[in-house]
Amino acid sequence: MLYQTTKDHESLRQAIREFAENEIKPIAFALDQNNEFPDEIVKKIGENNWMGLPYSKKDGGAGLDVISYAIAVEELSRVDGGVGVILSAHTSLGAYPVEAYGTKEQKEKYLVPMAKGEKIGAFGLTETEAGSDASGTQTTAILEGDHYILNGSKIFITNAPKADIYIVFAVTTPDIGTHGISAFIVEKGWEGFTFSDPYDKLGIRSSTTAELHFNNVKVPKENLLGQEGQGFRIAMQTLDGGRIGIAAQALGIAQGAYEAALKYARERIQFGRPIAQQQSIAFKISDMATQLRAARFLVYSAAEMKHNELRYSVEAAMAKQYASDVCMKIVDDALQIHGGSGYMKGMDVERFYRDAKITTIYEGTNEIQRLVISANLIGRMPKSKKSAGGVAAKKAEPITGVRKREMIQTDTAQEAVDILVENLKKDGFDFTVGIDLNTPIVDSDRVVSVGKGIGSEDNMELAKQLAHAAGASIGASRPVAESMYLLPLERYIGMSGQKFKGNLYIALGISGAVQHLKGIKDAGTIVAINNNPGSAIFKNCDYGIVGDLNEIMPLLIEAFGTEEKKPAPPMKRIRKAKPRKLAPAYGVYVCTGCGYEYDPELGDPEGEIDPGLTFENLPDNWECPECQTVKADFIEEKYPADRQ
Amino acid sequence: MYNIRKITDDLYFVGGNDHRLELFENMFPIPDGVSYNSYLLMDEKTVLIDSVDWAITRDYLRKIEIVLDGRDLDYMLIHHMEPDHCGAIEEVCLRYPKLSIISSEQAFDIMRQIGYDIPEDRLIKVKEGDTMSFGKHTFAFVEAPMVHWPEVIMSFDTYDGTLFSSDGFGSFGAIDGKMFADEVDFERDWLDEARRYYTNIVGKYGPFVQDVLKKASGLPIQRICPLHGLVWRENLGYILEKYDKWSSYEPEAHGVLIVYATMYGNTENASQELANDIVQKGVKDVKVYDVSSTPVSQLIAESFKYSHIVIACVTYNLGIYPPMKNFLMDMQALNLQNRTIGIVENGTWACNVGDLIEEFFDEEMKLMDVLSDRVTINTSLNIGNRNDMDALADSIVESVNNLKELKAKQG
Ligand SMILES: Cc1cc2nc3c(=O)[nH]c(=O)nc-3n(C[C@H](O)[C@H](O)[C@H](O)COP(=O)(O)OP(=O)(O)OC[C@H]3O[C@@H](n4cnc5c(N)ncnc54)[C@H](O)[C@@H]3O)c2cc1C
Ligand SMILES: Cc1cc2nc3c(=O)[nH]c(=O)nc-3n(C[C@H](O)[C@H](O)[C@H](O)COP(=O)(O)O)c2cc1C
Ligand SMILES: [Fe+2]
Ligand SMILES: [Fe+2]
Repeated sequence: MLYQTTKDHESLRQAIREFAENEIKPIAFALDQNNEFPDEIVKKIGENNWMGLPYSKKDGGAGLDVISYAIAVEELSRVDGGVGVILSAHTSLGAYPVEAYGTKEQKEKYLVPMAKGEKIGAFGLTETEAGSDASGTQTTAILEGDHYILNGSKIFITNAPKADIYIVFAVTTPDIGTHGISAFIVEKGWEGFTFSDPYDKLGIRSSTTAELHFNNVKVPKENLLGQEGQGFRIAMQTLDGGRIGIAAQALGIAQGAYEAALKYARERIQFGRPIAQQQSIAFKISDMATQLRAARFLVYSAAEMKHNELRYSVEAAMAKQYASDVCMKIVDDALQIHGGSGYMKGMDVERFYRDAKITTIYEGTNEIQRLVISANLIGRMPKSKKSAGGVAAKKAEPITGVRKREMIQTDTAQEAVDILVENLKKDGFDFTVGIDLNTPIVDSDRVVSVGKGIGSEDNMELAKQLAHAAGASIGASRPVAESMYLLPLERYIGMSGQKFKGNLYIALGISGAVQHLKGIKDAGTIVAINNNPGSAIFKNCDYGIVGDLNEIMPLLIEAFGTEEKKPAPPMKRIRKAKPRKLAPAYGVYVCTGCGYEYDPELGDPEGEIDPGLTFENLPDNWECPECQTVKADFIEEKYPADRQ
Repeated sequence: MYNIRKITDDLYFVGGNDHRLELFENMFPIPDGVSYNSYLLMDEKTVLIDSVDWAITRDYLRKIEIVLDGRDLDYMLIHHMEPDHCGAIEEVCLRYPKLSIISSEQAFDIMRQIGYDIPEDRLIKVKEGDTMSFGKHTFAFVEAPMVHWPEVIMSFDTYDGTLFSSDGFGSFGAIDGKMFADEVDFERDWLDEARRYYTNIVGKYGPFVQDVLKKASGLPIQRICPLHGLVWRENLGYILEKYDKWSSYEPEAHGVLIVYATMYGNTENASQELANDIVQKGVKDVKVYDVSSTPVSQLIAESFKYSHIVIACVTYNLGIYPPMKNFLMDMQALNLQNRTIGIVENGTWACNVGDLIEEFFDEEMKLMDVLSDRVTINTSLNIGNRNDMDALADSIVESVNNLKELKAKQG
């Protein structure tokens, strides 16, 4: 085969190059100096039909291939890396997820105007606690009726605040890591959706980058992109493609720097001849050209694979990592060739030098790219899912999940109670409101619950007073209802009884049997009061006081207040449906000789294949461990579309 | 006479029924019997297509003789070397000493393992893409590995569009005089047994069936002749679509299968209660089975049919009640996936079965979504369980509706 772009590719390159030279180059320095977003230029790029190059005409795009798109980013970046990333973030981060996962309606409403260039797109994944590791995502989206309520912030978002349409990632199911993340299409202008001032950046200053702030933003249910829980998958798949864009950006910046250096080296005369005639300069130039060619092949090949719907994430990672690494080297050498002039504002290489750095950082730092690549080649340590004996390892986490476990230790009970109540108030609990003592447990926002430690029926009255003071209803552990008959059966809390899903659970004299703890695992805040410091309840609480109930209860009643409570506002109950599972992101293959399935999670210990190695990366001479059928005779399993 | 039927002008059915076999593969009850299909092609050459179980060989030989009507038998084409189809091979070879056997290389390996001693020069090996002409009829061979066994081939008669599909498209149930799927009310009288046959016999090998369906989609198929059950010559799309669903583990019905394990009736009672709730909340397609008294193969077939499965189970010596465990293991062995699971657990002193079942679905099976609303019963349902029963029923109904919506969106 001949590794070459087509005539159409090259005429597109020519058109974009002319546009960049004529329209962008003259203002590039000013854009950089003024940190200015080129609205007019972006409009014209859209008018030229370049804002949706790889999308079908039906979707408002140009119906070209991914290489065409890479060429566009490359050519814009060759002149101005900032403009390059505007197109890249718009096309592969803003528009792509809608193309890949959008419904017909979503495509009509959002993809078409983006692909036509009428609307600008952006992608909001990164947060303060979620950079390289998206599982740290803290932005939440809670379904309430027909809307999700979005809260949280995103940082470092390219094209914000100029973009009109944002693909935003938020947690819909907490505590299950990346499986609980979902993607949403959010429009600029919706109530509660605001931006920070754009950042002042080292480079790519003609592109704009800002924070997104969501304060109870109502996102219509139909703007969920894909299914709940599919968000992480969508983000990763989007970034795979985005990496081609960033690789093309790095390629373009490096190309620009190289051309400038070549020109300068030919013109600059020292020691009586062009510095290009010095071998050390000439070799720099030759290295640059070689690296550019290698990078270009990597980028176009990844683009071609994507276009042909092959698995390309490793190749895109290689392209991004290599193109940006050599870009850094090339801009460095190019500036060096320019000598002191290169260090001055107004010289293109000075700008290229600063613009280049971002390409090794965003859309996955180059360390992360290497992680992606190496994990694919080497596999990784086996998951400690099962211990050697095949027995499932016990979860390290307490039954009620990760809790604060703040043990309040003071000299007197009074001090402990004061600290507790103060903390609860700080957490937002309002003890001037309350609910009826007999509110069904499932409908109770707060419950004061008694265990066998309550001792006798006499103390029950005190517990009820405490429930009233705390604005709570009254509940119990199973034995208190079942064998002590202190409360009716439908008021005991536990796995086989009522589940408490409200915000405040005050456990009095409850030791914390497993079946009880399972009934309160969805509780917002758990307060434990018990005289045995070894009780399991203390490992499962947010606040704990070790002490005698007879002493603590009266103090607590006093501290919460005995006045008549105002009616509490209706409780918001969050339904914690787990998202549906998704098919593995890697290919799963089965043997035509015996039906054996190769599972990358397990690898093939006898064949000395480490876990984590995908089927594609198994050596060509690998054979089925059960029947010795050759690798080439395996077939790939398919999964339902709604599980992808 | 002799129970011979014509499939086309040149093709005769010479197989037969078995009503005396109680358990197919010595495991699956077949109250309606089973048929072993074999066909005889009368072209310039005579070709016996597959053979039958030893149990019905006496009649079978007689039928061949009658159809041949004095001609010799030239070939025997064997698509699948499982004993229910090759029981008569040796006997046929003895009677027709000039005949050659056509099959795949691996099939001959298996034949030798079975112990048939047939000289090498009477064996014709074929592989994917090979063709053989018998006169008017030219057969193209298609490899269908793991559509039950690895050696399986199918063949396509390019002259009249007949696909000989091996175990594919087969069914339990003796055909008893009927020959074609269009001669019966298939959906009413045959679909359940066809599903039970496919899911239990070939269910594990969905990806391979998908692979063959892909190959078949390019062929102008007029007729499907399987090795068990009825021949298809009309409305082929119907059975192809069923196979597509089963082999891709897509549910046929958006409804609920409840399987319970009970010793003294309390868990059964809770299951009935749950079924009642679900129906009243609007999902009407609900089936309830007792795991102890229902053949596992039937439970498996129903599991392949329904989108939602509720496992209601007692704790048994700190473990899963053995018949239920057996059902779950079978489900896993048959590679069932892509289902939503609800759990009702019962225990009197240390109820841990729900955790065990949930872990089994999460760790040992693929794409099984266990609903987080679980009902825990201490011996018998009491007033305290009301909310949990409601929550489980609600969450099942919501999930069924969501799935319907999702599928509608996908179009
Ligand atoms: C100008 C700009 C534009 C951006 N645009 C967008 C956008 O449009 N949308 C968006 O969602 N985000 C955007 N980002 C965010 C960008 O993708 C992140 O900054 C990037 O992913 C790195 O995250 P971090 O900054 O938190 O670094 P960290 O994750 O904190 O990493 C710090 C360092 O640790 C290394 N490191 C981290 N984990 C590992 C590991 N496991 N192994 C080895 N090394 C590791 C990193 O490689 C890096 O060197 C943008 C950022 C910038 C600067
Ligand atoms: C032989 C046997 C073993 C049992 N093992 C347990 C057990 O280990 N833990 C438990 O909580 N209950 C155990 N049980 C109780 C049952 O799980 C169940 O609660 C009881 O049989 C009532 O339900 P049923 O009427 O549906 O059978 C056992 C019962 C029997 C008969
Ligand atoms: Fe078979
Ligand atoms: Fe068979």
